[in-house]
Amino acid sequence: MLQYTLKKLLAGLPLILGVTFISFVLMVYFGPDKTYELAGKNPTEEQIAQIRADLGYDQPFFKRYTNYVIELATLNFGHSDSTGERVTRLLGRTIPISLALTLPGFVLGNVIGILLALLAAYYRSTWIDKSIMTFAVVGMSVSFLIIIIGFQVMFSSAYGLNMFPVRGWSMDTLGEYLYYVTVPTLAIVFVSLGYNTRFYRAVIVEELGKDHIRTARAYGASARSILLKRVLKNSMIPIITRIMFSIPLVVISGSLLIESYFGIPGVGKVTYDAITTGDQPVLKAVVGATAVLFVVVLIVTDVLYRLFDPRVELK
Amino acid sequence: MSEPLLKVRDLQVEFHTDKGVARALDGISFDVMPGETLGIVGESGCGKSVTSLAILGLIPSPPGRIVGGQILFQGQDLLSLSEREMRKVRGRDIAMIFQEPMTALDPVFTIATQMGEVLRRHQGLTRKQARQSAIDWLARVGIPSPERRIDDYPHQLSGGMRQRVMIAMALSCEPKLIIADEPTTALDVTIQAQVLEQIVKLSQDLGTAMMLITHDLGVVAQTCHRACVMYCGKLIEQSATGPLFAAPAHPYTAGLLASVPRIRTQRLDSLPTIAGTVPDLLHLPRGCRFVERCGQAIDLCHSAHPPLQVDEHSGHELACYNPVQGEAR
Amino acid sequence: MSAGESFWSKAWRKFLGDRFGLASAGIVLGYFVIALGVWLDLWGQQWSTLTSGSNLPMSSAHWFGTNLSGQDIFDRAIYSTKTAFEIGLSVAVLSTILGAILGAISGFFAGRWSDEVILWLMGTLDSIPFYLFVAAVAFALQGHPLAMHAAMIATFWTTTARVVRGEVMKLKELEFIEAARAIGVPQHLIIFRHILPNTSHLLLVQATIVFVSAIKSEVILSFLGLGVQDGVSWGLMIAESTQEVIVGQFKNFFAASGMLFVLVMAFNLFSDALQDALDPKKVH
Repeated sequence: MLQYTLKKLLAGLPLILGVTFISFVLMVYFGPDKTYELAGKNPTEEQIAQIRADLGYDQPFFKRYTNYVIELATLNFGHSDSTGERVTRLLGRTIPISLALTLPGFVLGNVIGILLALLAAYYRSTWIDKSIMTFAVVGMSVSFLIIIIGFQVMFSSAYGLNMFPVRGWSMDTLGEYLYYVTVPTLAIVFVSLGYNTRFYRAVIVEELGKDHIRTARAYGASARSILLKRVLKNSMIPIITRIMFSIPLVVISGSLLIESYFGIPGVGKVTYDAITTGDQPVLKAVVGATAVLFVVVLIVTDVLYRLFDPRVELK
Repeated sequence: MSEPLLKVRDLQVEFHTDKGVARALDGISFDVMPGETLGIVGESGCGKSVTSLAILGLIPSPPGRIVGGQILFQGQDLLSLSEREMRKVRGRDIAMIFQEPMTALDPVFTIATQMGEVLRRHQGLTRKQARQSAIDWLARVGIPSPERRIDDYPHQLSGGMRQRVMIAMALSCEPKLIIADEPTTALDVTIQAQVLEQIVKLSQDLGTAMMLITHDLGVVAQTCHRACVMYCGKLIEQSATGPLFAAPAHPYTAGLLASVPRIRTQRLDSLPTIAGTVPDLLHLPRGCRFVERCGQAIDLCHSAHPPLQVDEHSGHELACYNPVQGEAR
Repeated sequence: MSAGESFWSKAWRKFLGDRFGLASAGIVLGYFVIALGVWLDLWGQQWSTLTSGSNLPMSSAHWFGTNLSGQDIFDRAIYSTKTAFEIGLSVAVLSTILGAILGAISGFFAGRWSDEVILWLMGTLDSIPFYLFVAAVAFALQGHPLAMHAAMIATFWTTTARVVRGEVMKLKELEFIEAARAIGVPQHLIIFRHILPNTSHLLLVQATIVFVSAIKSEVILSFLGLGVQDGVSWGLMIAESTQEVIVGQFKNFFAASGMLFVLVMAFNLFSDALQDALDPKKVH
């Protein structure tokens, strides 16, 4: 198992190097020059040279990229340009917030999506299927931004129910957590439900047509046992793949919009602020962390495949 | 004379496709007596498999639909049962052996789970009893070291072994009727006879009636008491196996029999075949469905489909206006 | 190729029989005419003119009222249709071409080094958070107005390439390709003249999907300040409207999101109908 994990990690290296390299070239090497921003008014030649040396601008391209990889390997990205906080500390503080924010919606969006898909697939071509799929297409066609704004007006403003906060975040008590997480969760569920339902329905419809499902029915299995036991376990490979590979994107990209809109201090907001201010140490860390997360996801996914499908072998 | 175990009457099944409605079964009627082995013969697409799926209420819908007829099992019309009542019949009273051992078993559950589930559902056994019973059945169908094999997944077994598992599962609840749909077609030629023999022997030991669906006339001759011949969704000839093979009355049956190679009497290069191809179910001829391929069609055959009735000459149930009247070969 | 002809005419017949498909195609066409009119200076030209008052109600002069800055919402929404089509079409066409070429090469040389390199590139691009990538491209292009377009093209091709790769791997085993290879047709001709045309039905469907993704992404990117730089778009209108909805002015929000929703919905249905018509194996 350890050997397998190491082998997989090694196989993930090209991915990590690719992601960091492309991001480095675009964001750092061709990125904004911060010399004059930090230098203040009327800097001397020496001051400028000093700042450029501090930022590493005077070093050759390859050396600067190698430094980035070393930073990633040692988890030492230095300090944020704008707040001065250690980047690792900053991420350690904000990632849990983003997880707490996005996880409920992510889980619900997938669970409800699978349940609706099971219903739609089982009642294929009936009005149940048609209404679920119509709802799914509508859901797919509404922009995330419109959902967020709409839900905020509906749930959090005087023009709607006015039951939840307009913006902000707190996790001190469960009550407060629920108070702040509800509207974002509803928005995340709504935006993902259409896509999820459609994807899972296609998977389940195919599974329901398999010979072994016909065998199960020929031996008296109930609809419930067929759907919840057989179809679900047999569909686990595409389900796991979809869920696992959306995790890194949901945590970073999904939380970026919702956090900057609701003013929630998670890693998405940090990333967004870093984008607008050109805070390179933070951006480098976020990109690197995402790449590592993808490799971890790759490994965990393989192990999960093995867990649900006896035909899969780890190699 | 005892009552038939299964009485199928005027069964009609339609499939709705993009191009129109295909009538896959058009008024099929036959009986299965208790303990009897009935062969159902025909080319692929003639409605053999649809018949067996219809009996268990497993016609995929959409696109399929049973539009008429009765399926009486021990006097009760299966078509009138609710889905819940029908589930109790499936596997317990009527069990099915499918054609494809590679895909008919669930790949992500062990044999123990799949057989155990059936035994617990229909026999009310505990988990432990079900496991023991499953092991016993695996032993009876000739699976070596069943107590180890039972925890295997289907992909760990050979095709022949999987089909034996399927047979064990079919027999395990001691059903009154087994429907075997081309049970050996997908297997290696070398083990086909062995597996078939096993099915027949075990079902005879248990006194189980069997419907054996096949395109292989040799299999029917060896194993069946009676046989029905189907063509394009119609039953065209039915009789005890001996007379049917000795003196087929329908030109189609005769053609089928003539095209079976007989090593001693014929050279393979002169093997007769039936001219033409099976018509598309969407574009059937107006009269008898076989008319365009029939060597002895008369005018009447082009305008009306002959009804199935007892033929005076052969004694078979027959749907033909101008039957073959040859002597026994 | 007579087989190809009958495939397309059959798909066309199937599509004509699809009421939802036809209706949605009609709506998309309507939007396209609106965009064309803006492009030809027929309408929507007053989108940036400042009028007498902000947040004016609907009137005959301003069909959808005015926004916070006093600009005509109707004209802005109309003008944004052009923006949306510019983004959708350029991204859909270019990323489909890119995906087709790279996917075909990858599929044809499956298992060889060129395939490995392309697979690695796809995996890498898919692993960079999208908004960060757009921001990075904007940095690198120093805020060029087409930075967003470039970033979308550079990432959206991967899905198309994966689809094409899978199809090409199947196609290259077919007899007519084997035959072409046997008689010594050069590889690039086999890939681009014999194999790629046979994936055009997939490319068409994929292009419609990318079109939808592009105009949906524009809205969010523009809101985040990473999108449209000059002119106006539904995303910029929605971004403005966030200042207005808090004081109960919803006209700007409804105008932009309504226009966006109807187009995306119609395009989604159109894309579905296209898939139904073109893919005989698609499950319903």
